[in-house]
Amino acid sequence: MSEALLVLDKVVKRFGEHTAVDGVDLQISKGEFLAIMGPSGCGKTTTLRMIAGLEQPSAGEIRLNGTRMNELKPWQRDTPLVWQNLALFPHLSVLKNVEFGLKMRNVAARERRERSMNWLERMGLAEYAGRNIAQLSGGERQRVAIARALVTEPEILLLDEPLSALDAHLRVRMQSEITQLQKQLGITFAYVTHNQSEAFAMASRVAIMNGGLIQQIGSPREVYRAPANHFVAEFVGSNNILSGTVTALEGGQVTVQTAWGSFNAPTPEPAPKTGDALELVVSADLVAVSDSAGAEGNVLSGELISEEFIGSIITLYIDIGDGIVFRAQKQQHELDALDYSSGRKLFASWRPEHTYVLPQI
Amino acid sequence: MADKALTQPTAGTAARNVDGYALFWGLPLALWQLVFFVAPLVFLVVMTFWTVKNFRLTPDFDTVNWVNMFSKGYVIDTYFRTLWYGALGAVVCSVLAFPASYALAFKASPVVQRIGLFMLITPFFTSYLVRIYSWQAVVSDNGVLNNLLGVFGLGPFNILGTLLGTMVGYITLTLPLVILLQFFSLSGVDRNYIEAAQNLGCGRLRTVFLVIIPLAKTGIILAGTFAFILCFGDLVSPTSLGSSKPPTLSILIVDTVKQGNNWPRAAVVALMMVLTLIVVAFTAIFFAYRVKKEKT
Repeated sequence: MSEALLVLDKVVKRFGEHTAVDGVDLQISKGEFLAIMGPSGCGKTTTLRMIAGLEQPSAGEIRLNGTRMNELKPWQRDTPLVWQNLALFPHLSVLKNVEFGLKMRNVAARERRERSMNWLERMGLAEYAGRNIAQLSGGERQRVAIARALVTEPEILLLDEPLSALDAHLRVRMQSEITQLQKQLGITFAYVTHNQSEAFAMASRVAIMNGGLIQQIGSPREVYRAPANHFVAEFVGSNNILSGTVTALEGGQVTVQTAWGSFNAPTPEPAPKTGDALELVVSADLVAVSDSAGAEGNVLSGELISEEFIGSIITLYIDIGDGIVFRAQKQQHELDALDYSSGRKLFASWRPEHTYVLPQI
Repeated sequence: MADKALTQPTAGTAARNVDGYALFWGLPLALWQLVFFVAPLVFLVVMTFWTVKNFRLTPDFDTVNWVNMFSKGYVIDTYFRTLWYGALGAVVCSVLAFPASYALAFKASPVVQRIGLFMLITPFFTSYLVRIYSWQAVVSDNGVLNNLLGVFGLGPFNILGTLLGTMVGYITLTLPLVILLQFFSLSGVDRNYIEAAQNLGCGRLRTVFLVIIPLAKTGIILAGTFAFILCFGDLVSPTSLGSSKPPTLSILIVDTVKQGNNWPRAAVVALMMVLTLIVVAFTAIFFAYRVKKEKT
C-alpha cells in the first residue's frame, strides 16, 4: 500500500500544561499545495515546526515516505522552511545565503555556486548575488528565502506565513509567483497562514485548524460551501449562521423554525428528526437584498446598520434582532437601484437550495 | 554605499542642531574627560621631555628620555612581551569564556540565567588584589593545589612565578567580564537564525561557528579587547603570580620610578602603553563593526 508523502498520525504536542496540537491526523500527497489555516494559537505553526523537526511531538508519529521521522534532528531532514521573518543570514551575501544548504550537504564549491546562481536567475535575482541582505527590498528578500529553501531540491517545502510582512499589493503578486513555482516544480508545499484569501488563492487543499485540532480538510470550494462545523462556518468566508429547530421534513427539504422566520433547506445526510436543533449557514454572497417584501424562498428583514465598500463588492450589515447581524455581499452595480442608506428596513432573501445545514455533532 | 548616503545627512543634522538638552546630559562627561583624561595625558606627554637632576624633576625640553628608553633592548623586549601576554590573556580568556556564555545564553533557563549572571558579578565584590593573594596560597609550590595533586602522586608543579601563574591572574581579572559581555551579545542573536541554519542541514557545532559566532562577532571582539586592555596594563598578576620575572611594562614603570625617581622615563613607557591601547581599541572596533562587502 502506498502512503501519502507525508503522514501525521495522531500527533500531539504539549508545552508543559498547554496542549498546542491535540491529535492531528494529516496526509499530504506528493505534489500538492496544502494550506493549513486557522486563528492565532490554533497549533498550525507548531504542526509545521514538528514536520521540520524543530519541535518533538509529545505523542503520535510523523512519517515521510513511510519512514518515521520523530527522532530525526532538524539537520538530518530535508524539510526546508520559509520563515515568517525569512531569517536570511545578515552576515552572508545573497549568494552565500542560497548556497548555505548545499554547503551543509558538502556539495563541491563549483557546483554549489552554479546551482545557487541558477536559482537566483530563476527568481530574477542574479545581479543581486553579491549584495547584503539589508540592501534588498521585501519582495527580493522573499525570493531569496524561497531560493535558499529550494536549492537542495527537497520533496516538500514548508512555508510559515511568509507573506505576512509584505504590503497588500506585493503579497498578491508573490502569491501567484509561489503558486506558479509550485506548479512548475511539482514539489509538495505545506503553507501555514491565518489569511483566508491567501490560502484559498494558492492551495489545492485547505486544512482548517482550531484548538490544536484539524476541523476540516478539503478543497477551498468544499470548505467554503460546505463547512464541517460551526467553527469553520464562522472562520471561513462571510457566512451567516442561524440556529433553529426542525419543524417539518418533506420532499427532500427540511423546514427550520428560527427566531427570524421559518426557512427551508435541502435535507442533509444523515437526515435530522423533527424537533432537532440545528444551524443553517447562508453565505453572504448568495443573499439577495431588496427594499420590499415579496421575494421568493427564504426571507428575513432587518435594519441596515452599516456598509463596507471594497472595490466592486459591497457588504451590507443588517441588524435582524437578537444580536445577530446578517451580512449580504453584492456587486456594487447590483445595488444601483436600491437606496441603502443607514437605518432603512431591508429584506434579505436566498434560495432554499443555497441554505447549508451544518452537520450535527 | 547606500548606508553611507543614508547616515551622513542624519549625522550632519544632529551636529547642526546641538540643543541645550543634549548639552545638559553630555557636558558632565565631556568635562570629566577633559580634566581627568586629556589634561593628564597632555601633562604625561610634556613630562616625557623633562629631566631628572639629583633625583629632582626639572622641567626641560630634552629628547634624552625617548632616546634612552628606545635604545635599551630590554625595554623593546618588555614591550613585545607585554603585548604577547595581553594577547594571550585575551585569547585564552575569550576561549574559556565562550562555552560558559554560550550555555548561559542558549541552554540555561531564565532562573539559572539570573543566578549565573549574579554569580558573575560577585567576583567584583572583593578586591582583585585579595583574590590574587588567595591564588598565591593555592598555586605556590607547597600550596593547596600541589598538596592535593601530591595525594595522587603528581607534582609538585611550579606555577607561581611562571607565565601560567600570570595567566591564572589575568583570567581571574577578566573572565567574569568577558563572559558577561559575550553573554549579552549572544543573547542578542535571534534564535530564528539558529533554527534556520539547522533547518538547512547545519549541525549544532557547525551552527556555532557558521552562524552564532559571526552574528555575535561585535560583542565577542569587544569582550576580547576589554580583556586585552585589562591584561596589558595589569601590575598585580605579573608581580604576585608571575614574580615579576620577566617584567611587563607596568612593572617597568614601577621600577623606573623607584630606581632614581625617574618619572619622565616612566612617562615614556606609560605613553607607549596608552598609544598601543588606542591603536588596539580602534582596530578592534573597526573589525567588530565592519560589515563585510562580498564580491562576486
